Amino acid sequence: MTGEARSEKFVMARGLLVSIVDDDVSMRESLPDLLRQSGFEIKAFSSAEEFLASNCVSQTKCLILDIAMPGMSGLDLQQELKRRGLGIPIVFITACTDENLRPDVLAQGAVECLVKPFSERALLDALKAALK
Amino acid sequence: MKNLDASVRIPEPLTVWSGFGTAQVGTMISRLIRLGGPLSVLLKDLCGLLDAALPGHRNSVLLPMTPGLPRAYNEFLQRRQVIGDEWPGKARDQSEALVSDVMSDTVRASNVLALAQSLPACYSLTNRGEARGPSSFNTALVLQFAHMAGVAVARVRSDEALKRSAAFLAEVQRVSSTGSFSWCAATDEITWSEEIYRIFELHPEVPVTLELIRTRVHPEDVPLFHKMIERVRGYCSDFECEHRLQMPNHTTKYVHVVAHGNRDRDGGLEYIGAIQDVTQRRLLEETLGKLRSELAHVARVSSLGALSASIAHEVNQPLAGIIANASTCLKMLAADSPDLEGARETARRTIRDGERACDVVIRLRMLFGKKGAKTESLDLNSAAREVIALSSGELRRRRVNLRQEFEDLPPVIGDRVQLQQVILNLLLNASEAMSGVEDRSRQLVIRTELDESEQVRLSVEDAGVGFERQDVERLFEAFYTTKSGGMGIGLSVSRSIIESHQGRLWAELNHGPGATFSFSIPTAAGTAQPTGMVLTHCGRIL
Repeated sequence: MTGEARSEKFVMARGLLVSIVDDDVSMRESLPDLLRQSGFEIKAFSSAEEFLASNCVSQTKCLILDIAMPGMSGLDLQQELKRRGLGIPIVFITACTDENLRPDVLAQGAVECLVKPFSERALLDALKAALK
Repeated sequence: MKNLDASVRIPEPLTVWSGFGTAQVGTMISRLIRLGGPLSVLLKDLCGLLDAALPGHRNSVLLPMTPGLPRAYNEFLQRRQVIGDEWPGKARDQSEALVSDVMSDTVRASNVLALAQSLPACYSLTNRGEARGPSSFNTALVLQFAHMAGVAVARVRSDEALKRSAAFLAEVQRVSSTGSFSWCAATDEITWSEEIYRIFELHPEVPVTLELIRTRVHPEDVPLFHKMIERVRGYCSDFECEHRLQMPNHTTKYVHVVAHGNRDRDGGLEYIGAIQDVTQRRLLEETLGKLRSELAHVARVSSLGALSASIAHEVNQPLAGIIANASTCLKMLAADSPDLEGARETARRTIRDGERACDVVIRLRMLFGKKGAKTESLDLNSAAREVIALSSGELRRRRVNLRQEFEDLPPVIGDRVQLQQVILNLLLNASEAMSGVEDRSRQLVIRTELDESEQVRLSVEDAGVGFERQDVERLFEAFYTTKSGGMGIGLSVSRSIIESHQGRLWAELNHGPGATFSFSIPTAAGTAQPTGMVLTHCGRIL
């Protein structure tokens, strides 16, 4: 990444809270570090229920959300946020390779649906689109 | 006369000799009997003696109709009809009898009566000349003759029966590949039947010793062989074992040994037993095992498609972590003030996630790779957890809530991959049975426990559609399926696998919705050894 690009991301990300909800510990450890390098403020949660119970919901500017999780799924959380009238932009991430999934979640209002493994570039582009 | 030598001929009436007393006749008859020889020759000689002793009379030996005798003789007897009830008493008690006129109808009738009473023979005396009863000398002589001839006939019949019995036994032993033996534990004197010599490929004239037997025992089974000998030598018991033999040409045979211990009059311990060559059966079992293994592999591979999404999920998760961590690491190192500690940490995570992906591949290779059955001591809970790890993505995709209720279990003896295949099959079936369930939680419970008969039980309980009660056994039939895309071999193969582990697999309808499929298998402590030497004592596996 060039210094110019890095600077652009940093400016874009500064002071924005991005919450990550994923039951996979690897994602909860690696994504925050990666995104903090780009200047984002990051909070990570292991379940939808934990996120809803936190005091970050209203401050979250973008949600990186796993689809398949034990208990409340990412799609359930999306519906719950809608029900509460919270229009947080959502970037779904999933390890599921079902081709029908992406069009479905995009139709439900998600900004993007990234299939794991995804590149840093794809993730930052999705965040950029979400934070526009 | 059922067992009479086929070579017996009816002696012709003999002409007259003279000059013998009853004692001399008896001595000569005894000598004739001791000398042995074919029955026909013996009877002929007896008649010759009697003729010589009773000049002026005609003697004959009349035999009942018997297979092997000349057809004309048998037909003659068959044509005769019993006239009156002459000679009934003697015929009934089968004692020696004296008949005065062999040429009369009475004698012929007597002959037929003898036949009806299964008498071995009747001896008659004809008076040439005026009709009169026999003298007391003649009577005594003929009675002695009849007695001695009866002994001779009985002996020959006994010898014949013994020969036939021995031949029959030898034939049965050959056909069944089973030989008999006796072993005197105190002196190590061993007696073998011919068939055991054949099984051990030893010359029948070679003296049998334990050392000789040991040279034929497969080297890997020799320690067990010695252990068994020493164990049963000390006290009277029954024993049973199976071990291998190694022939001089290095071929292997499997023999099954059973023996019963007895004390002789002097208190000495002797074993009487049988050795059966079970090589063919064992080879067939091995072939069957290979075929079963092949079929199990086909069934496993066929379930690979159902798991493909789950497998991709399990691999993609760590790959995503690897890429994110590696990207972060590069960023940390590329900063104006490189964050070396952060870079190290992300590198460590990269390795951890790489190993996680590696584990998935290893599990896949273990479960779906083609290899023969391998029996080992294993923890069923651990095996089940590996399967759950592999299929959790699929279960999650199907919105199945999995609950694990695992008791601490003793180890079991079995093939890890095959048992995992059964567990995977039950999990996928349960998941599929709930695919249409929308009005309740798709709850799946996998439970392990030690059951009341000290066997390890694993149950998979679903809340799906269940099955028709009358179909409960058909579920396990090959090619029976209720799924649109199923081959119908999963449960059939699963049952076959569990039965090969000396266990059972069954299905029950729940009280509520859904069904529970369970299998139970013996613990390692309760599993009979499937191969090698098995020693039993008084019907119990030691």
